[in-house]
Order: sequence, then structure tokens, then C-alpha cells
Amino acid sequence: MMEQEHLIDLSNISKEYDGTTVLNNINLYVRKKEFVTLLGPSGCGKTTTLRIIGGFEYPTTGTVYFEGQDITAIPPYKRQVNTVFQKYALFPHLNVRDNIAFGLNVKNHKIANASLKQKLFGKKTAEVSDMKKLSRKEIDKKVDRMLELVNLKGYGKRSVDQLSGGQQQRIAIARALVNEPEVLLLDEPLGALDLKLRKEMQLELKSMQQQLGITFIYVTHDQEEALTMSDTVVVMRDGNILQIGDPKRIYDEPANAFVADFIGESNILRGTMMEDELVNFCGVNFPCVDSGFGENVPVDVVIRPEDIMIVGEDIGQLTGTVQSVLFKGVHYEMMIDTGDTVLKVHSTVMQPQGSRVGISIVPYNIHIMHPMDEAAPEEEAEESV
Amino acid sequence: MKKPHLWYKKLYLGLILLFLYMPIVVMMFLSFNAGKSRAKWEGFSFRWYSELFQDRGIMQALQVTILVAVIAAVVATILGTLAAIGIYSMKKRPQAWMMTITNIPMTMPDIVTGISLMLLFLFTKVERGFVTMVMAHITFNTPYVILSVMPKLKQMNKHSYEAALDLGASPFYALTHVIIPEVKQGIITGAMLSFTLSLDDFTISYFTTSPMVQNLSTLIYSKARIGIDPTLYALSTIMFVALLVLLIIVNRRTAESKA
Amino acid sequence: MYNVSLPWWAWVMMGVGLAVFAGLIVLSIRRNHGVKRSLFASPYTLWMIIFTVVPCILVAYYAFTDANGAFTLDNFRHFWDSNHAKNQMYANMSEEYASYITRGTVNVDTLLYSLWMAFLCTLICLLLGYPAALFMADKHMKIGATIVVLFIIPMWMNFLLRTIAWMSLLEDNGLINTFLKWLGFDGVQLMYNSSAVLLGMVYNFLPFMVFPIYTSLSKLDPKLGEAAQDLGCNEWRTFTRVTAPLSLPGVISGITMVFMPSVTTFFIPRILGGGNTMMFGDLIESKFLTEGNWNVGSALSMIMMVLILLSLGILRKADPEGEGGGIA
Repeated sequence: MMEQEHLIDLSNISKEYDGTTVLNNINLYVRKKEFVTLLGPSGCGKTTTLRIIGGFEYPTTGTVYFEGQDITAIPPYKRQVNTVFQKYALFPHLNVRDNIAFGLNVKNHKIANASLKQKLFGKKTAEVSDMKKLSRKEIDKKVDRMLELVNLKGYGKRSVDQLSGGQQQRIAIARALVNEPEVLLLDEPLGALDLKLRKEMQLELKSMQQQLGITFIYVTHDQEEALTMSDTVVVMRDGNILQIGDPKRIYDEPANAFVADFIGESNILRGTMMEDELVNFCGVNFPCVDSGFGENVPVDVVIRPEDIMIVGEDIGQLTGTVQSVLFKGVHYEMMIDTGDTVLKVHSTVMQPQGSRVGISIVPYNIHIMHPMDEAAPEEEAEESV
Repeated sequence: MKKPHLWYKKLYLGLILLFLYMPIVVMMFLSFNAGKSRAKWEGFSFRWYSELFQDRGIMQALQVTILVAVIAAVVATILGTLAAIGIYSMKKRPQAWMMTITNIPMTMPDIVTGISLMLLFLFTKVERGFVTMVMAHITFNTPYVILSVMPKLKQMNKHSYEAALDLGASPFYALTHVIIPEVKQGIITGAMLSFTLSLDDFTISYFTTSPMVQNLSTLIYSKARIGIDPTLYALSTIMFVALLVLLIIVNRRTAESKA
Repeated sequence: MYNVSLPWWAWVMMGVGLAVFAGLIVLSIRRNHGVKRSLFASPYTLWMIIFTVVPCILVAYYAFTDANGAFTLDNFRHFWDSNHAKNQMYANMSEEYASYITRGTVNVDTLLYSLWMAFLCTLICLLLGYPAALFMADKHMKIGATIVVLFIIPMWMNFLLRTIAWMSLLEDNGLINTFLKWLGFDGVQLMYNSSAVLLGMVYNFLPFMVFPIYTSLSKLDPKLGEAAQDLGCNEWRTFTRVTAPLSLPGVISGITMVFMPSVTTFFIPRILGGGNTMMFGDLIESKFLTEGNWNVGSALSMIMMVLILLSLGILRKADPEGEGGGIA
């Protein structure tokens, strides 16, 4: 990866609140036009990371770079970054049009101030003084274009309380995008919408991002959302980054049991690495594709429920009894008791409850990882209240 | 469903309202009485009204009352709005302290507030008069402004201020263009409350002013101890009608702005 | 008329205050991040320290010192024995004056009388006000909102004028007596007694009882009543089991708002009670303004404050969430 491509660099960022560590020395870079998702359970530090990028929080230690320049101490209103807030934070005293135009009006105000200063003191304020004020017409045009982009043409005169949750969401996006930011930060923007709308908006956001060609940094606790939309997923837990990678890699090759469990469903078993490419769990040796762990080393074994094949009792690597069967729409979810442990299995073919079945797992579907010190993720208090 | 019996409820409310309005109506009636008697109708006249407008004491007290109420309301509104925003963005512990201090003048009986302020002025040898009365009024008005603005701040989306900064607004711009417009309703309520509390106050004014500078309340008090004068009836009638008209105008306005 | 001449040091202090505020603002401008907003409260804090905290300390100071500024508890002894000063004088003179020593009970009597009157006033306001609030909040009562406004309008009139209005009705040659005489009865003495004072208090404070109760009743979900009826309660039971308990915060807030000013009023007993009734507020006022005895007056004020804080504490216990909305 070439260094120039990095748009944002977080370097050794730590954040403490009254003695509790929220972020623990994280390093992360974001490239231009990338769709990056920060994913993790509540309390993992993802929102804090986003707020540090937005400028609403200052890291206790560490540096934030934007195009190679240190912006750690730059306040939010001087950053080329815009945010879509969790509950939208639309201004209730302004109508839709004025909400969207807010950023442009602020810019005009700044330019006017700067030119006044220039007239009064002859000083030139570098950032804004060369810019020209936008005319009323130009602002209107930009706002109209944004309304069109978010499919809310003709809603300009409405009061924001008259809009539905989904519409407010679109206005919040329009309000941020009208400023033509280099980076758009989105803090669980779809959290308040119902499932169907959320799916629609996911696709819409993704296509908007591709169309406009700007960088999105997206915070969510919904793993499916993360996998659907992102170029890169950053999985976080307890202020640490556990894994960074593209969705497929994260799903197929989770770095540890926590990631595996958090991303999609999985069976996590304690096992022993017998030798390279041979692992023992449930009292049986399974061939696998991992090596380099050493011999007789305790490991975590992760198997996706859809990767477990149900075969005849006689030809299975393992046998078990079907404990329960649930119909899940596309597939059946069966809990199979092998005596040692209970495995979750997804299959389109149902096996009746109580029947004996054989189980077989393809070597490359067995994921071996070093055991985590604490396997179970603990839920913490909502971080972004 | 059977029709609920409302008549006895209406009758009861009517009687209570009669109790509330009877003295006011009688007083309005008497203000047009030509004679001084409170029992005998001696014919219709505007005598007391013309006497009222010629009474320099009353006119001056009216002026003082309105001036004090306006100044106190304006200062209390500015002080209280700033304070509410400040207290709102404080950390928990200082916030709790500030709210306790804010609650002191509201739980203290008026007479104790009045006396304690009087002691302050006597102790520091500040001559009591117009300025001290204004200061006292600001003191008891400001907490009410804070308590009207605070809930609006709490209702505000926590991220509103950050959203403004995010869109490029400086903190000052965000304050004047986002926070204050969003809590405007609370500020207006606080200002109105201050104004009416000042107009109505007697006890605190009584202890914090000198007999040379009187507002309507203290003037009425000193007059009432001597014996009532129908000019006071005329004054009450005018004030009542003025407030009624004001109320109707305000109601019309809000009804129109909603439509 | 508007005497704005303050002593020079008051102006200096004001200047210093403003300068400190300006300095704080300047100091708190963090590079790039603007002003710390919590400092907006600093002028108010300064104001409240000067005009609330310091005066409270002054009251305490006077309450615990004698005329010469020396520490003493005599002022509180004066409360239990209003002849305290005189008695001490007798005791110091000689044996024969000892027989003159008598305990004065004026203060305690006045306090008890005030509490009793405030209690009666609160009770009457509750009995009159609760049904009124209940009927106003009745969902079938279409004119409820109008009646609320009708309750507010008289409050906008100066309360002294409202009280004076009663005089014209109650006086010896006032309207009621004239009417009675016209009917052939003898005139009745209506003014200058406890009943007149009580009437004036109820008249002035009734809305303070009605509004909080009305607020808490109108906030009730009408479905609660329906649910209770669905579960077999008749109208009376619905009221006693559901509506009444849920309106308790409003009732408590109403009691606070009526009881507090009732104990401390001094205008109403002055006007409607003439000189015949003395309430605690009058007593304090006369200690300060008539006798000029700040020390005893301060002690009495402190006793009243303690009483009020105690009763507030008890009421808070009964309504821990402080849900009862006031009129504000």
C-alpha cells in the first residue's frame, strides 16, 4: 500500500475517561474513496474513534493525520469532514431547506467576516479570504441537487418534525454531503430505522458513496450491515482493534474466536493442535489446513454452522443426536449433541428430532486460532449516550 | 355508553369561579360609583379614574413598577439563559451544586429573601431605593429563567451543537444560530414569568426599597393601611382589563401562527 | 426619583466582577476549541453568591450575635421566652424584682397560630381545589382548558388589590352587611378576625392547589381508567384505587405551594385581620421594622427556615421523584 493513498491516519491513539481506558493504542489508516466500517459491540470504542476523527473528542495520546498533516488539535469546524449523527441531530427550528443549507450559510458568514476583517485591519485570513460568497441562487441550486440525490425533491419547505425517520435520515445525509466533504462519518445512521428500510438505505448509501467518490467511515454494531456495505471492516472490542480486512476475509478467516462469533454465527470449540494440519476436538482428530502452531498446543477451533455437513451415521467423522430443529426460512437450524458438545448446524435438509446423524467437516472449513484470554465478549454500557 | 352527568361538575366549577371573580367584579363596579361609599350606588361616573390619573404618587409607582419589571426581566433573562447553558454543560457535581444554589431563593419564603437582602444592603450601607429593588428582583427572577430554559436544553438533541460545529460553525455561531433558537421558547417563557413575578411582587420589594421609591404593591399597602380609596379600584380595573386584552392578543397571535 | 447613587466601592466591585468574567472568558478560550461553555454560568454564580449566599450568612450571623456583635444564643432563648431580655434585667437588679419574672409566650403562640391557620388554609384549599381540578381534567369537559385560563386571569392581578377587593365586601358598611341590613338582619362583624384572614388566604392560594393537581390529573392516560373499569371497578373505585393515588404527586406539590406562603404571609393578616391577629410573618416584620431588633428577627427567620426545610424534606419523602408539576 502506498503511503500517499492514506487519507486519514490514526497513530497510537489512546483515550481515557476518568481513568477508564476507552481506546487502547489503536492504529488505523483510511484510504481515499474507501468505505470503512468500524464494527463491534457497544462499548468497544468505535463511536469514540469516529468522534476523534470528527474532532469532537481529543485523544489522550496519539496523533490524527489528515493527508499527512497533524489535525489532532483542529476543532471540528475547521475539518474537511462531515458527520451524520446517530439520531440525525437535525435543527428543529429550521425547515428542510435551511437545514441542508446550514453549512453553506456558515461558509458565507465566515467569508463575510474574513473580508470585513481584511477591510478593517488589512489582514488576510488564509483559508477563506480568496473564496467568493455563494449567491442565494447558487445555494438554492446546491440544495436542490442534494434533495434530488436523496430522493426528497419538493420537501424543502417542510418542517423537519413532519418527516418520517427515513426521510430525516436522508436529510441528515444531504446536510452533510452538501458541503462536499472529503470524508463522511456516519454514526449508526440506520439504527433507528425498521429492517426493510434499513436494507434499502444500505444499498442506497453504498451507491451514493460510489457515485460521489468520497470516503465513508461508518460505525455500526450490525455485522450484516458491515459485510454488505464495506470495502474494509475494522472489528473492535474493549478499545482494541481485533482485525482489519475486507468483508470476505473477515468472515472466512476470523482472527480469533471473538471475531468469528461476532461476525456471523459459529461454533467455537476448545481443541488441541496435534501437529501441523491435524487438530483434535470432540475427541476426534480432524485434518485441517493450518500449520505452524506447534505440537500439542491448545487452540480455539471455529466452524461456521453452514460448513458442517450432515452425512450418514456410518460415514461421519463424528456422530450425534439431533436435539432440536428450528425452521429459519432459507434453512433449518439444528442443534446436534455429539456427547462432548452441542454443535449448531445449518442445513436445507431437515433431520427429525432425536435421530442419529453423522457429521463431516471439510479441512479448509476448520479455522484454527490462538485461544483468546477471555472468549466471551462482555456487554458494556452504551458508550454513546 | 350513557351520557356522563356534567351539570353538577359545571355547577361546582361555576361556584368556585364565582368565588374567585366576585370581589373583582364588585370592585370594578364600585370603581364607577360617583360616591365614596362601598355600599350605596350614587350614580355612574369616571371620577375615580380622573383622580387616578391625577394622583402623582400612583403614576410614579406605576412607572417604577414597570421599569423595575422590565429591567429585572431583561437582566434576569440574559443572566439566566447564559447560566442555564453553562450549568447544562457542567460536569455532574458542580451542576448539582449550581442547581442547589438556584433552588435556594425558590424554597426560601419571600419574607426571608426580602429580609436577608435588606440585611445585605443595611450591612454594606447601600442606600435602599430603586437600584436595590432592581437587584432584588433580578435575584428572585433569575432562577425561574434557568428553570424554564433548562428543560428545553435537556430536550435538545445532544448532538445539535456538535452538528453545527461539524458543518463549520464556530462555537459562537453555533450558540447564536442553533442553541439559542432551539431553546427560544424557554427563554420567552422565562422572560414572561420574570416580568409577571416582578409586577406582582410585594414582600421582597417592601424590604428592599425606601418609602421614597415605591412600586404599586408597596404603595397599595401603605394606602390600604390608611383606608381604601376608590382610586385603587379604578387602578385595579384598568390593570385587569389591560391584562385581559394582552392575553387575548397573545392568544390570537399564537392561534394565527399555528394556523 | 431613581436614586442610582451607589457607594463608590459598589461600582468598583461591579467593575471587578465584570473584569473577572471577561478575564475568565479570555482565559478559557482554548486554542482552536472556543470558549468552555460552563463558564457562561460564572456571572450568575457571582450574582447568587452576593445576593443569596452572603445574605443567608448575614441572617445567620445576626441570629447568633447580640447587639454588640458578640456570640450569643439569647436570640433563640427569646423565641421560647419573649420576655427574656426583661427577665434578665429583673434578675440582675435585685431579689425583689424576681416576682416580675414571667415567661412570655408570644412567639411560640404566634408560631402555633400561624401553623394552625396555614394548616386550615391548606386543608380548605385541598377540599375545594381537588374536585375542581378533577372536574377540569374530566375528558368529557370540553371547556376544561377555558376554565384553566379563567383560573389564571385573577392571579395576574396584583394580589394586594385582590385582597383589598374583599375588604369592600366584608367591611362593616360593606356590601354583605348592607345586604343583610336591607334584609332586616343586624350587621355582622366580618372583618378583623381569623375567619377573614383565612378567607383571604384561601382566596389567594387556591389556584396554587388547583394547578399542580390539574396538571398531574390531565397527564394521566385515560386508558388507565378504562383498564380499571375493564377489571371491574365502578367509577368510585376507579377513583380511589387508580386516579387518586396517581394524582398524589400533584397533591403534594399543591400542599407545598399553599402551605409555605400561608405560614409566612404577613400582608393578608395585616389588611383583613387588622391588628387582631398576628402571624409569624408579621412578627418577623415587626421585629425588623418596628422594633429594629435585627438579632431576634434573624433568629425568628432562621427558625422559620428550619421549619420549612423540615416540612419540605417530609414532603419530598412522600414524593421522591418530585413529579408534581408546578404552574411554571
